[in-house]
Amino acid sequence: MDSAEVEFLAEKEMVTIIPNFSLDKIYLIGGDLGPFNPGLPVQVPLWLAMNLKQRQKCRVVPPEWMDVEKLEEIRDQERKEETFTPMPSPYYMELTKLLLNHASDNIPKADEIRTLIKDMWDTRIAKLRVSADSFVKQQEAHAKLDNLTLMEINTTGAFLTEALNHMYKLRTNLHPAESAQSQDF
Amino acid sequence: MFVTDFRRDFYDVIQTERVLLFVASDVDALCACKILQALFQCDHVQYTLVPVPGWQELETSFLEHKDQFHYFILINCGANVDLLDILQPEEDRIFFICDTHRPVNVVNVYNDTQIKLLIKQDDDLEVPAYDDIFRDDEEEDEEDEEQSGSESEGSEPSGKRTRREEDVIERTLKRRQRREWEARRKEILFDYEQYEYHGTSSAMVMFDLAWVMSKDLNDMLWWAIVGLTDQWIQDKITQMKYVTDIGILQRHVSRHNHRNEDEENSLSIDCTRIAFEYDLRLALYQHWSLYDSLCNTCYTASRLRLWSVQGQKRLQEFLADMGLPLKQVKQKFQAMDVSLKENLREILEESANKFGMKDMRVQTFSIHFGFKNKFLASDVVFATTSLLENIEKDASGTDNFIRALDSLSRSNLEQLYQGLELAKKQLRAIHQTVASCICTNLVISQGPFLYCYLMEVPGPPSSLGQDTLAPPHGRDVLTPPQGWDTLASSRGQEALLAPTPASSLLRARQTSSCSPSRPPWACSASTCCSPLFVRPRTSAVSCCP
Repeated sequence: MDSAEVEFLAEKEMVTIIPNFSLDKIYLIGGDLGPFNPGLPVQVPLWLAMNLKQRQKCRVVPPEWMDVEKLEEIRDQERKEETFTPMPSPYYMELTKLLLNHASDNIPKADEIRTLIKDMWDTRIAKLRVSADSFVKQQEAHAKLDNLTLMEINTTGAFLTEALNHMYKLRTNLHPAESAQSQDF
Repeated sequence: MFVTDFRRDFYDVIQTERVLLFVASDVDALCACKILQALFQCDHVQYTLVPVPGWQELETSFLEHKDQFHYFILINCGANVDLLDILQPEEDRIFFICDTHRPVNVVNVYNDTQIKLLIKQDDDLEVPAYDDIFRDDEEEDEEDEEQSGSESEGSEPSGKRTRREEDVIERTLKRRQRREWEARRKEILFDYEQYEYHGTSSAMVMFDLAWVMSKDLNDMLWWAIVGLTDQWIQDKITQMKYVTDIGILQRHVSRHNHRNEDEENSLSIDCTRIAFEYDLRLALYQHWSLYDSLCNTCYTASRLRLWSVQGQKRLQEFLADMGLPLKQVKQKFQAMDVSLKENLREILEESANKFGMKDMRVQTFSIHFGFKNKFLASDVVFATTSLLENIEKDASGTDNFIRALDSLSRSNLEQLYQGLELAKKQLRAIHQTVASCICTNLVISQGPFLYCYLMEVPGPPSSLGQDTLAPPHGRDVLTPPQGWDTLASSRGQEALLAPTPASSLLRARQTSSCSPSRPPWACSASTCCSPLFVRPRTSAVSCCP
């Protein structure tokens, strides 16, 4: 999977916006949206929120977990634990990136939030690397990791599976199977 | 006719239509175009953008596109000529003109159906009244008189003579009145169209439209500021008008940028911040060394007469007076000692006053985003102008236009930096040329006119190449502020503020061009005839082909 695809999936998450126009309820395949009234908050998918924000038709309300104190707590907890802690949203990385790129004027202390999220991401990726390393060294058959988000899986997944494939091929060539027949001249 | 309610009569009309945008090649027009494009993107308005550097391009593009569009928007072109006469459009085509060229042609003002002028009416236009210029159907009255005269011939032979005499008297009276009216009309029109000048910046007009629709952003405000600064740098408006418009923009700036940067409400460092500055008049000084900037800014170069040896000495004195060591001043401004930079503006202003440069500081704005990007409005104007006039590497006019347009966006910083480098080259070349012209006495005075012949190979064969001066603007920029001050000081005539506009033809690579100057009395109207979209007229200003 491409990172762009993961971001595309993340854009289905709902966020709250405050529009400055009015529109009746719209009926889309994925669900109903609206009605939109100026000044009244409404929940919309992220893709629509970004589009409206770029056309200056709404104001974005940051999700409640996007707050400096809360994120600091989560980050500290992440650093303490050895396993992965649950994240505030399964798409925390994409949401932060999109919201801070397009709507940073609606989000207070945007720079600190960006730093905190990056810290969390770095910690989790480091843990993932350590875990993959020990997995390979001890030649385990299977492993289980909780609380990973799709973006993190996607970042390491492709490389990890390819590497394991190669290692398997190399290992099987060292010990040829007994039932393998050799050619007779 | 003038559009009173911009939103209702202009924007709402074109919101659902496809429009064709004709944009002239100057920075003010580019800024207005950017603001309008941003508004169009918000509302999904389909548009086609056509850059038009001159009348020819306007006519050819119009012929190409006239069948596909009903609504045309012209930015910084078209107000000062009889547009319908030149373009010959169909009856139902509508033109919206947002132009700074004045005086606005009277036909454009009084046409109710096809021409809509996006010009503020409080812009001291002084348009003559309708009745003074246009008269409906006087001939028909005369014909009726003659007919009734001939009809009554057969009826009463006795009273015929008196009635005939009366008719004749009436007719001569009417004719005399008509002749007087026409003479007065000619005089009024002559007075009205005598001087050319510029009105409020188009970028500011467009920003106003955005504000009325509550869609104004900091970015748009910055473009409006750049448009106004461009007008001032090219000497298209008076100092007073500039200061007034700065005041208007200052209100918007404080409205957008008033957030106090405290613990709770800090804005992300990436957001644009615009600040009011009472900064130095030196061109590009923050991106160059202070020494280079002093040498290559028209104002300082002409006041200190830097083309002569004495001038160089004066410059050294000036620097010594301020207490700035030469080594510091010659390195990049950002690398100068912080202690020197701290009070630089005040020190410079004080010393400048002693050396006869009273207006060293000017009111302007600066933009600031990210950690290292800070630009003054004049920096952006110089950079964009140089990108527009760039003729290196076979770049076509349209490419330059698009590149210059892109450089105004925040996301295209490399273009802007490229533009800054080009601007430095351009300024250096201009000053070298002027210095060589004055030193070799190429400036000839003939009565009230000052002539200067610029050959294809100007000045010393520098490594910059001759290309940097060949574009038409190179000569434009060369002359107005330059010509004034340098000629004033070289001739020792204080009253001589003769601007020397370059009326070079719009095609680059002329073999020679002549820069005639206006007689001194014309400059009181603070005019500066820009060759782009000058009304073709038979005036006394001669231009050698």
